Amino acid sequence: MSDFAVIGERFPRVDAREKVTGEAKYAGDYSMPGMLWCKLLRSPYPHARILDIDASKALKLPGVKGVVTGKDFGGWSWGWMAATRDEVPLAVDKVRYMAEAVAGVAAIDEDTAEEATRLIKVDYEALPGVFDPEEAMKDGAPNVHDYVKNNISVEYHWNFGDVEKAFANSHIVREDRFRTSRATHGYLEPPATLAYYDPTGYITVWAAKQSPYFHYRHLAACFKMPLSKVRVVQPFIGGGFGGTKNDSLAGDFCAVLLSKITGKPVKYVESMEEELATSRRRHSMIVYSKMGVDKEGKITAIAHRVIADGGGYTAIGPLSMYLGGFMTGLPYHLPNFKYDAYRVFTNNPIGAAMRGHGVTHTRFAAEIQMEMIAEEMGLDPVEIRLRNAIDNPKKGKIYETINKVALKTCGIKEAIKEAAKDPLWRDKDKMPKREGDISWGVGLSGTSYSGGARQMGHQACAAIIRLCEDGTVNLITGATDCGQGSDTVLCMIAAEELGVRLDDISIKRVDTAYTPVDPGSYGSRVTILAGQATQKAARQVKKQLVEIAAREWQAKPEDVVIRLGEVSLKSDPTRKMPFIKLARIACYSGTGAVILGTGYSSYGIEHLDLVNGIGNGGTSYSFTAHTARVGVDMGTGQITVSDFTIASDCGRLLSPIPAEGQIEGGAVQGLGQTIYEDFIMDKGKTLNPTFLDYKMPLAMDVPNIKLIDIVTDDPDGPFGAKEASEGSIVSAPPAVVSAIHDATGIWFTELPITPEKIVRALRPKGQR
Amino acid sequence: MKAIRFSVNGKHYDITVPPHRTLLEVIREELGLTGTKEGCGVGECGACTVIMDGKTVNSCLVLAAEADGKEITTIEGLAQGDRLHPIQQAFIDHGGFQCGFCTPGMIMSAKALLDANPRPSEEEIRKGISGNFCRCTGYTKIIESIKAAAKNMEAKP
Amino acid sequence: MVTFYRRLPRFDYLAPKTLDEALSLLSQHKGKAQLIAGGTDIVPQLKGRLVKTPQYIIDLKAIPGLDYIRHDKARGLAIGALATIKSVIDSPVVGEKFSVLAQAAGNMASPQVRNRGTIAGNICNAVPSADSAPALLVLEANLKLVSPGGERTVNIDEFFTGPNRTVLADDEILVEIQLPTPPPKSKGAFLKLGPRKAMDLAIVGVAVLVVPESGKCKDIRIALEAVAPTPIRARQAEAVLREQMFDEKPIAKAAQTAASEAKPISDHRASAQYRREMVEVLVKRAIEQALRS
Repeated sequence: MSDFAVIGERFPRVDAREKVTGEAKYAGDYSMPGMLWCKLLRSPYPHARILDIDASKALKLPGVKGVVTGKDFGGWSWGWMAATRDEVPLAVDKVRYMAEAVAGVAAIDEDTAEEATRLIKVDYEALPGVFDPEEAMKDGAPNVHDYVKNNISVEYHWNFGDVEKAFANSHIVREDRFRTSRATHGYLEPPATLAYYDPTGYITVWAAKQSPYFHYRHLAACFKMPLSKVRVVQPFIGGGFGGTKNDSLAGDFCAVLLSKITGKPVKYVESMEEELATSRRRHSMIVYSKMGVDKEGKITAIAHRVIADGGGYTAIGPLSMYLGGFMTGLPYHLPNFKYDAYRVFTNNPIGAAMRGHGVTHTRFAAEIQMEMIAEEMGLDPVEIRLRNAIDNPKKGKIYETINKVALKTCGIKEAIKEAAKDPLWRDKDKMPKREGDISWGVGLSGTSYSGGARQMGHQACAAIIRLCEDGTVNLITGATDCGQGSDTVLCMIAAEELGVRLDDISIKRVDTAYTPVDPGSYGSRVTILAGQATQKAARQVKKQLVEIAAREWQAKPEDVVIRLGEVSLKSDPTRKMPFIKLARIACYSGTGAVILGTGYSSYGIEHLDLVNGIGNGGTSYSFTAHTARVGVDMGTGQITVSDFTIASDCGRLLSPIPAEGQIEGGAVQGLGQTIYEDFIMDKGKTLNPTFLDYKMPLAMDVPNIKLIDIVTDDPDGPFGAKEASEGSIVSAPPAVVSAIHDATGIWFTELPITPEKIVRALRPKGQR
Repeated sequence: MKAIRFSVNGKHYDITVPPHRTLLEVIREELGLTGTKEGCGVGECGACTVIMDGKTVNSCLVLAAEADGKEITTIEGLAQGDRLHPIQQAFIDHGGFQCGFCTPGMIMSAKALLDANPRPSEEEIRKGISGNFCRCTGYTKIIESIKAAAKNMEAKP
Repeated sequence: MVTFYRRLPRFDYLAPKTLDEALSLLSQHKGKAQLIAGGTDIVPQLKGRLVKTPQYIIDLKAIPGLDYIRHDKARGLAIGALATIKSVIDSPVVGEKFSVLAQAAGNMASPQVRNRGTIAGNICNAVPSADSAPALLVLEANLKLVSPGGERTVNIDEFFTGPNRTVLADDEILVEIQLPTPPPKSKGAFLKLGPRKAMDLAIVGVAVLVVPESGKCKDIRIALEAVAPTPIRARQAEAVLREQMFDEKPIAKAAQTAASEAKPISDHRASAQYRREMVEVLVKRAIEQALRS
C-alpha cells in the first residue's frame, strides 16, 4: 500500500488522447493564411570560401518573395558560451561542413521555393578539408576556424590524485583504444518552424524545440528584440533526444528574417535526408583508456585521453567534453583520475549532444576495459563490479568522488545483485551456448548517468499553479515534454502535492509569452528541477487552501487533509467536503484574492567547472545494471539480441508507464548505436543519410526487455525521484559488447559492431 | 491538373490537384487532416501509413491521382465520435507511444494487421509493424499494446 | 548546389484504360514518359532527382486484368505486370509450387511497400540487389514484353544488362512473367543478408533450386543478387555440383565456386571481400535449407 495517492500509479500519459487520435499538432502541422514556404540552398563542398552569391535569377522566378544570404544577418553569431560564438545563421565567408546552408528562399509554395534554390548562383573556392580529428590536430592540417590553433575547439586537462604513481603500483594496467560511432538522434519528426514577424515588432514562432527558451534568446539576440517580444510557441514535439531541437537552425533564422522581409508568415520543414545529412549528431569519440587495478581487482586509477570529432562548429561541445569526464568516478570508486579531452574541428557535420551526453563514450570504454581486466584475472564480472561499486550512502550522508561529484543515493550494488539474480544472468550457463550457426553469449554492465543537469548561466526554472473556480487546476511551466512524458510527471507531482486527482490538472503547452522560463529538456532535468518548482507552486496553493478550510471549519491548518479531491480533518474525519467546494469558497470568498502558486527550483546554483572538472554536474545520479543475451551468427556475423534485463535505480519512478517506456527506448537506442548505427563518411559527405542505410532498430530487431525497479528514494528529487531517461542508453552498449565477447571470445572496441567486423575478427585472413 | 474523387474516413471528396502531389500532401494540406505525418517522405519510415482499399500503404509514395476512386482510412477515421477504437485505447492503457509522431502510422499498421489476423503471435506482430519506425519506445510497449488490443477485440467483436 | 527536396518535380499524369492505349502513349511520348505501377521505386527516385524527370507518368493501374497470378499444369505460372508483391506472397500456388519466389517476396522492404510494389516493377527497376531476381533466375522465368510493333519473350537471363538497365526498349511494357513449372521434387530456398531483420537492402542475396534424387544432385540452379552489376546465375557453381552427391564437400566446393563467380563491389554497405565470403556462406546454407524443406 503506497503512501502516495497519485505518485507511482500506472496512469496513462496526460497527452494520450491527442496522440492516438492524430489530434496532436506538431510544428509541421501548422499553417497560416498567406503563408510562404522557406527552402534552404546548401553547399556542395565540405570546406570552401564563398566568393559570391547571385540570387537575381531566383528573385525573378514568379512566386518567389525573398532571398536571404549570410550577409543579411549583420554579422551576428551564436554559441553555447560567449567565447564560442562561432556559428552563423547562414554561412558568410566560409562553409565548414558539407551542405551547410548558404541561402534561404521564401516563395508562395514549396515547389517554387525548391526550384528557386536551383537558380541561385554561388561561387565557391573549394578548400582542402580535414575529416579525421586526429589528423586535424596535427600541424599543417587545414584550418577550419582561424580563432583556434590546430583545430582544437575545446581542450580540458584534469588531474586528480596521482595516476602515474597509482599505475606504477597496480597489479594490472591496461591500455586500450575505443571508438564510438557517428550516431544521430533519429527522431521521426524532422525539424520544422512556422514564423511570423509582426511589423509592430513582435516575433512569433511555432517550432519543434526541446528548449524553447534557448531559441527565444537566440532570436531576440539575432533580431535585436527584447525577450518580452519574442514568442516561441511549442507544439507537440516528435522526439528530441538532445540534439538539434535543443538548438537553433539555419531554417529557423531564415524563416523569421524572410517573414520580416515579406510581411508574411513563413514555414520551414526539413526533409529527413536533410536532417540526417546536416544536423547535429552525437560526437564520435576516440577514447584512449588506461586503467589500473590492484590484486583484488579494485580500480587504482583511470586515465582517459579523449579525442572527439567536433565537426564544423562548436555548438554545445564544451559541455560534451565536460560531461565525458566529470562522472568517471561513478559508479565505481576511483581514487586517481586524469582526463585529457580534445574536441577537434573537422569539416564534418557538427558534433553535439545526444541522450547520455558525453558519458556514453567514456563509460563504454571503462566498462569494457574493466571486463577485459576481469577476464585476465579470472574474476567474475559481477564480483569485480561489487568490489568496486559505491555503497548506497546511509541516510543523511553524502558520497563524494575524487572530483567532488556528490551523491546521496546510489543503488548500483543492489542493481547489480538484482541483475545477477535474474535468470538471464543466473542461469546463463544452463542455456544453450551454440544453436546451429548461432553462438550465444550473455554480458553485464554497471553504469550511471546524471540527472538534474545545470548549464552555465541558464538555471532558472519556475512553475505557476492556478486554481480555477471549479476546482480544476492549471499547471503553467516552461518545461518541455518532447515525448519523454514530463508533462505527465509534472501533473502527477502537482496532483499529489495539492491533493487532487490527476485528471483535475491541466498542463499548458509551453509558450514563452506566458509560461515562466525553463531551460528545457536535456540532462534529465525536468522531473527533478521543474518537478521541484511544481512542488513548491503546488504547496503555495495548498497552503492558501488549507488556511481557508481551517477558517471554514474553525480548525488548525495542520489538521486539514486534502487527498484525491477530498478535504477533511485528521482529528474528525466526519468533517469533509469535496475539493471543488473548497475551491469555490476560496475563489468566491469576496476578498478578491486569486489563488495562484509560484515556485522555482532552488537547485542549479553551482557553477560548472569546465576547466578543472571539480564539482557536481547534476543534482543526483541514476544507476543501472544491465544484462544482455546476444546470439552471433558465426558464419555471417549477424547479431540477434534476444533479451535485456535492466535493473535501474531511478530514486523512485513517479510515473511508471512513461518511465518504463523511457528505459526501454533508451536501451534500444543504445543497442542501435552499438551494432547498427553509423554515418559512413567520405571526405565530408554522408553516404547514408536515409533510414534505409542509417540503420535504426525495427520491431523485429529488439529484444524482450525486462525491467527491475530499484528504489532508493533520493532526498533531492521530488518524491525521491532521480533521472529515468538516459541511464539505459549508457548501460546497453557495454552489456551488448560484453555479450558479444562471451559469444565470440573477441573484445570489440570500435562501435558499431557490424556483421562484417565480426567476420573480419573471426577470420582475419578470410579463412573459412 | 487532375480531378480526383475519393473517400477519406467515409467522407467523399471531389478535388483538383496538380499531378505531382502525393496522397500524403493532399491529405495533410488540402483536406487538413494532419494526423498522418510526413517523416522521411520516401517510403522508409512508415509515419505516413494510411489504409487504402483495405491495405496499408506509405501515402508519401502514392500520387494523389493514383488514389482516384479509392477508399482511404487515416488515423482520424478510427474513433467513432468519443469512442476510441480498441487499438487506440490499448495504446493509451499500455503506453504504446511517447512523442506520438510515429503513432498514427503505427496504429494504422496495427489495425491492418489485426483486421487480417485477429490472433497474431508476437513474431507476427513484430513483422506486421516492421515498416514503422519508432525511436522513442523501443517497440516494447507498442507490442504489448497490440497484444492487448487483439485480446480486447476478440472479447468484444 | 545542394537542395534537399520534399516535393516531387512537376509532370503530367496519364492513366490509359487499355494496354493498347498505354503502348500508344508510350510511343507517342517516346523518351519523355515513365511507367508507374506500384511507384515504390520511381517516386523516391523522382523526389531525389536521381532520374531525369519525365514529362509524362503513365499509370498502368487503370488497365484491368493485369494483376493476375494464374497457374496451369502445362504452362506453369503467369504473373501479371500489376500483381503486387503481397499477392505473390499470399498466393497458395506460389507458396506450394514456386516457394523460392514466395520466400523472396516475403521479406522485401516493408508490409506497406509489399502491398503496393509489383514483382514486374522490381525487375524493371533492375537494381543489382533486386530481391525477386534470384528467385526468377532459378525458376528460369520468361518475360513477355509488348510494344506497338508486337511482342517478344525474353528469358530473364538476358533481361538485365547493367545496374538499373534492362533490355526493355522505351516503347515496351513488361506485361507478364512466366514461370515454367519447376522439375518435380525440386525444392527452393532464398536467403538474404542484411544487418537488421527487416527493411535492409541485401548485402548479398541467394536463391537456389535443387532437384535431389536419392541424395544425388540431379539438377541445381543458383542465383545471386547484389554481388555483380546485375543479378546473375552462378553457372560454374551449378556445374560443380550437378551429378554429384549432396555431400558436405561437393556443396562446399559449389559454394566456393559461386563466390568466385561473384563480382562484388565495395560500398558503404559492405566491402567486396565480405560480400564474396558471404556468397559462399549463403549458397551453402541455401542448398542445405532447400534440401531440408
